[in-house]
Amino acid sequence: MKIYTGGGDRGKTSLFSGERVNKSDLRVEAYGDVDELNSALGALVAFLPSGEAALAEELQRIQSDLLHVGAWLAVTPGSPASSELPSITEEHAQGLETAIDKMEQELPTLKDFLLPGGHVSAAWAHVARAVCRRAERHVVRLLAGNDEDETSLQLRGVVTYLNRLSDYLFVLARYCNKVQGQPDTIWRK
Amino acid sequence: MKTFNTDRIAAKSYSTTLLARRWLTEKVFEIELTRPSSFQFTPGQRIRFSPETRQRDYSLLTTPSDSTLGLCLFNVEKGQFSPVLAAAEIGTKFSFTGPHGYFTYRPSARPAVFVATGTGIAPFLSISRSGVTEFTLLHGVGTASDLHYQDFLRSTARLYVPCLSASPDQAGTIENGFDGRVTHYLKEYFPPDTYDFYLCGRQEMIRDVTLLVDERFPGSLVYAETFF
Ligand SMILES: Cc1cc2nc3c(=O)[nH]c(=O)nc-3n(C[C@H](O)[C@H](O)[C@H](O)COP(=O)(O)OP(=O)(O)OC[C@H]3O[C@@H](n4cnc5c(N)ncnc54)[C@H](O)[C@@H]3O)c2cc1C
Repeated sequence: MKIYTGGGDRGKTSLFSGERVNKSDLRVEAYGDVDELNSALGALVAFLPSGEAALAEELQRIQSDLLHVGAWLAVTPGSPASSELPSITEEHAQGLETAIDKMEQELPTLKDFLLPGGHVSAAWAHVARAVCRRAERHVVRLLAGNDEDETSLQLRGVVTYLNRLSDYLFVLARYCNKVQGQPDTIWRK
Repeated sequence: MKTFNTDRIAAKSYSTTLLARRWLTEKVFEIELTRPSSFQFTPGQRIRFSPETRQRDYSLLTTPSDSTLGLCLFNVEKGQFSPVLAAAEIGTKFSFTGPHGYFTYRPSARPAVFVATGTGIAPFLSISRSGVTEFTLLHGVGTASDLHYQDFLRSTARLYVPCLSASPDQAGTIENGFDGRVTHYLKEYFPPDTYDFYLCGRQEMIRDVTLLVDERFPGSLVYAETFF
């Protein structure tokens, strides 16, 4: 199958719900961020310390969930296309919380601001975290103009999910440094 | 960690048996396959065969209430897989995954315009057999003998326009026949308005119609399924 359609050559693209929109549309920005986040996670998985197979699997599950998040962002509120997508509920954010708590148990309490970086896997976790925050900001802007319909409810679920995911990525960066024996770099003002 | 519940859209693996084959023209044939009891789909969706490391998708012709599965194929000369289905003995077993895809009918207040090239007619057959009517259908083919399912489609479509790109002398002899490509018809004769376009078949048609929608039918929706 050809992956290109050529329908985007003049600055417009089709949403999953069928609308033709400018590539500068907020929704396109938002799912572009989610795509960038997903790619940063791919780089992170590639640089994970050896012996972290379970973590790699967890991250790949998150990558797969992010494809669904991207699809929700490519759907116009109330469109019939939305009924074809899986719901994004509180439970997904809760799953991230459990994973955060588990990693935190192995980390020293944080008392200072950190410089993003350290082991290459940790550095990628920070890149992913920053992109995740941007995605979240864009989704919040998307929500600003929307009513209380089903898609908006899902987008609220997306905001919660992305918010928790950036926390997860922050802790994951520290965790990656820890398992590599790399100390956190403290911010010296 | 809890991941998103994709049950209602998840594809699974099934095994099926070839029940019958019927040639519609020298190059195009229909096959009938057994339908695994738990296999569900929505009209417009497709199934996937994975011979060796390749993947070949085919849109279902039949409806969710039919007891068997039907496909309509173009037998690609020196193709990797379509000739296998064209020659397989009745009774041969295959495995497939499905249902795949999101090319399903989404009712709306705008008129639906289905545009197919060649075997790209398959998903529209499943959709219209499932009870969708009141659509406009443009079917782009080379010659009139490629207008498969014409009688049925004429009876369900609000407007059925066969577009013949390679036989100018034939177009005038069939009802609503148009001498030229579907894109040409849309550009010159289709009234500007907002529609829901469903495009299926060759990538070139999908690209050209999509760009035309931006120019001539702004505000319309575009759903597309690219075959090749
Ligand atoms: C989403 C999707 C749905 C599809 N549904 C159908 C369907 O319902 N019926 C169907 O016949 N095919 C369909 N196809 C195409 C199908 O998957 C195969 O690509 C096709 O059967 C050729 O495979 P092959 O191994 O025989 O040929 P290959 O060796 O892969 O040769 C590929 C070449 O075959 C030609 N070709 C491919 N498909 C067609 C076609 N339909 N008509 C004319 N020429 C073609 C093109 O020139 C292409 O470059 C679909 C493809 C996709 C991606």
